[in-house]
Amino acid sequence: MATLELIDIAKRFSKNVWGVKKMDLEVEEKEFIVLLGPSGCGKTTTMRMIAGLEEVTRGTILLEGKDITDIPTRDRGISMVFQNYAIWPHMSVYENIAFSLKLRRMPGNEIKARVQKTADMVKIGNLLKRLPGQLSGGQQQRVALARALAVEPKLFLMDEPLSNLDAKLRVIMRTELKAIHQQTQATSIFVTHDQSEAMSMADRIVIMKDGKIVQIGTPDEVYFKSANIFVAGFIGTPPSNFFTVKCSVENGGISLQHPNFTLTVDPHEFKELQEYRNKDIIIGARPEDILIVPKESAAFTEKVLVVEPQGSHQVVAFKLNERIVKMIVSPEIKVRPNDTIGLAFNVQRLHFFDSNTEKRIPLGREEL
Amino acid sequence: MNRMYKRQLRRSAKRASLYIVITGILIIIILPIFFLFSFSFMSDYETYSEWPKPLVPSLKAEFKLDKEVDGYHLFIFNRSENDFMPFGPLSFHDDAGELEKLQEFVKRQANCTLPVSKIREYMHKADSGTPVTFNLRKKLLANYVLFFQVVNGAPKAVLNSLMVALATIVISLSIGGMAGFAFARYFFKGKNLLKLSVLFVRMFPAVSIAIPMVIILGRMGLYDQPLGLSLVYSVGQISMSIWITASVFMSIPVSLEEAAMVFGTSRVGAFWHITLPLALPGLAACAMYSFIGSWNEVISAVVLTQFNPTFPVVVYKALVGSQGQINLITAGSVAQALPAIIFTLIIRKYIIQMWSGVKV
Amino acid sequence: MTSTKSFLSLDKESKKKMVPYLLIAPVIIYYFLFWMFPVINAIVESFKSVDGVWTFDNYLYIFKNPVFYQALFNTGFIVVFSVTIEFVLAFGLALLINTKFKGSSIFLFLAIIPMSLPAVAVGAMWSSGLATRGWLNSLLMTIGLIDDGGKFLFLAGGRMATMWLIIIIDAWTVIPFVMIILLAGLQGIGEDVREAGAVFGGTKFQILRKITMPMLKPTITTAMILRIISAIQIWLIIVLLFGFNRLPVLLEQVVLNYDQLGAAYFERIGLALSVLVALIVSAASVFYLKVSGSFEKEAVQNE
Repeated sequence: MATLELIDIAKRFSKNVWGVKKMDLEVEEKEFIVLLGPSGCGKTTTMRMIAGLEEVTRGTILLEGKDITDIPTRDRGISMVFQNYAIWPHMSVYENIAFSLKLRRMPGNEIKARVQKTADMVKIGNLLKRLPGQLSGGQQQRVALARALAVEPKLFLMDEPLSNLDAKLRVIMRTELKAIHQQTQATSIFVTHDQSEAMSMADRIVIMKDGKIVQIGTPDEVYFKSANIFVAGFIGTPPSNFFTVKCSVENGGISLQHPNFTLTVDPHEFKELQEYRNKDIIIGARPEDILIVPKESAAFTEKVLVVEPQGSHQVVAFKLNERIVKMIVSPEIKVRPNDTIGLAFNVQRLHFFDSNTEKRIPLGREEL
Repeated sequence: MNRMYKRQLRRSAKRASLYIVITGILIIIILPIFFLFSFSFMSDYETYSEWPKPLVPSLKAEFKLDKEVDGYHLFIFNRSENDFMPFGPLSFHDDAGELEKLQEFVKRQANCTLPVSKIREYMHKADSGTPVTFNLRKKLLANYVLFFQVVNGAPKAVLNSLMVALATIVISLSIGGMAGFAFARYFFKGKNLLKLSVLFVRMFPAVSIAIPMVIILGRMGLYDQPLGLSLVYSVGQISMSIWITASVFMSIPVSLEEAAMVFGTSRVGAFWHITLPLALPGLAACAMYSFIGSWNEVISAVVLTQFNPTFPVVVYKALVGSQGQINLITAGSVAQALPAIIFTLIIRKYIIQMWSGVKV
Repeated sequence: MTSTKSFLSLDKESKKKMVPYLLIAPVIIYYFLFWMFPVINAIVESFKSVDGVWTFDNYLYIFKNPVFYQALFNTGFIVVFSVTIEFVLAFGLALLINTKFKGSSIFLFLAIIPMSLPAVAVGAMWSSGLATRGWLNSLLMTIGLIDDGGKFLFLAGGRMATMWLIIIIDAWTVIPFVMIILLAGLQGIGEDVREAGAVFGGTKFQILRKITMPMLKPTITTAMILRIISAIQIWLIIVLLFGFNRLPVLLEQVVLNYDQLGAAYFERIGLALSVLVALIVSAASVFYLKVSGSFEKEAVQNE
């Protein structure tokens, strides 16, 4: 049985403004789910509905099989880390963490032990007497985390908890959060707009857009089998490059024609593309799936626009048909701006999308 | 489906009870103000001869003219009695003097114009034996006009009040504004003390300041002068101006000034070309706040004026001395309250902003 | 001249440091001339007789006068109840408006009108309303709650009834002012800390008690102090409705002695009394700050 079930939930803010249009989701026990999407996609609204901070307009929310749709927030057995921490400035760290335990009338010595345990887990065990105003942003974040963990909730909600931290701390906290999750095994929902955060932490990612789910899948699934152009463009840095090509079938081969290049692919391996004969297809190419090759074997040649060294790799950008294309190449390859390079695709890894629906064209070979 | 319906029902019930409470509160707030305005439009007859008093002033008065053996009778429609009641002299005849008196009586009591020629016209009609009824438009603003005619020095007092207010604005905005800017932009010793000045200048009763000020202003030759009064008002207004202007300047990021300085202006230039224009609406609000404070003040003005009272003093004396009918006094009060109400409503955003900016 | 010169001769760093002091100097001078000076003057004169001889007689007169103790009691009664009632109702209103229900901005718009009304207009409004044949009785009769025999004699009540009337009228006038201050404070508290209270098991009342109110404490202190200061100085509305000497309060006695009795001797009594009022106001403010623990909090922050 799923820990959390969202059945057809929706949220309407005003007559024509929908926060969430339709949402169905099942979260398994101990799972770490990330709701990912651009701002305004409804991910935070969804989380707030689960928390009971926002009333649902339609639908049902089940937590451990129990209908909690109309139950007040405080009785839902959830806990939450807020984006701006929302720790109470007039209470010491200890009082912040102990707040909910006291309200539950837990015996005093148990509270003490529990607070110490969770504070130690997030490494603020020595700060219990301080007031939040005396803490750094990162420490405040840990207080918020400890307060949420101390409850030992059925469901652990996190609303962009890392977005206010600086880049370096954010990456550290990511790892710590994942480690804490592995230790506590608390079923968690994590909201973020940062795809790399989502990729690195999630068991499954729920990608949302305009109040609807676009794709649910493991990080690998959303990366390698992006459900549509939006997902392919949203996941990965730099994002996927897209090329509109005309599909034609000639002499038993499928040829994909772009103003700057023509790709020929195996008609058996890519037999699904045959249905798009004489139609447009959109190719999605991840930056690492465009390769620098000797000019003789290149699909096309182009002049390098910019080179961005990253240490472990470098990002090379060139212009194709007035659009900037970015690719990732190994740092050993020496390229400079204005060099003319030969380019090719790693055809096996390309994504193909229907140009009308923008949906992925499923290829039978992928199921093998 | 049933659940959604239930949820909607609960939400509606919640909303309905919320709005019932709010309506109740609004009634309590608005009703007294409504009646203040309502009374100011009522004629003497409505105010004193109808019981219970009408809740809304009428826009017209209904009269009946009748001829009996002893002469003509004038009646006025009394809304509380729902009938015509005798109005004016017991009876009157076609006599120029009597009719002029009647004309004056109608004007004073019912706030209507009934020229002698009209009375004669109606009298002729009534001669046929059937009573004539006719409506006259009530002059709604009659009380206001009368207040300024009857109450001694009221128009001049308005002028005095305006001068006091203007001087108070100039003094408090310039002095308080400078301090407010220092408050928003610099650290200095005594900042907290300055912040608290709002409190301690209020701890000593205004009237107690006013009493020694009689002598001090006398020596300066400013006793009973608008400028002298504004010097006293400014004490309280400066401290409020510091709070308001400080919150206004705080809301303008320093980085804007710095940007201007990067692009080659001096610090003063940056203030002049960047900060001041942005602060202008807030400073205008501050000026209005000073205006309200100065315009509404009574007690210092009572002590510090003699022949040049301010408008509130005139209204206050009319009320305490019962110089006029209550409908006249309400007219005077409304005339005094209106500018303050309007300005308060204009600057309400800034009032909230001020209080969120500075705390004890 | 010399000061300008020495200012110009300073190095740039010190000049910069002086800027804020130059900006606040006019305020200090102004306060000194038009506040400090008259205050000291009033205090000094209150210890002098009409002939300019040092004396305690003015104070002794006050302390021997039973009306002073009546005024003291009445003022105290009005302050305690009006400030409490105003705070509770204003806080309720502020919380209500802060829920940002549909129409809350219009509600706020209308709700702040009473605070803008001049004292005299408030007096005219209520004296026309509370008179036996005023609008309040008219209203009650028109909607059929009372008949002609049942008219309320609002202004003819006993001392307690009169004081409660004053408390209610004062509340009506002042609640918007208190509400604005509290509302400003509430708007400074993020929605999320209260939501966190709900997530971690607090009922609405617990959230109010344990989160909203403690966080609002500086604002509450500000509002209460300002109210206590001006509530002790209540008098005008009483005089406008009841005239002098009907319900003696402190400041009414000051004005009575100074402005109404018309003898130089009483002017000095008025002065002495006003010095006492100022003392009482300061003492009450300090007392409130102490009780509410604002001093300790500052000490903690300074650590």
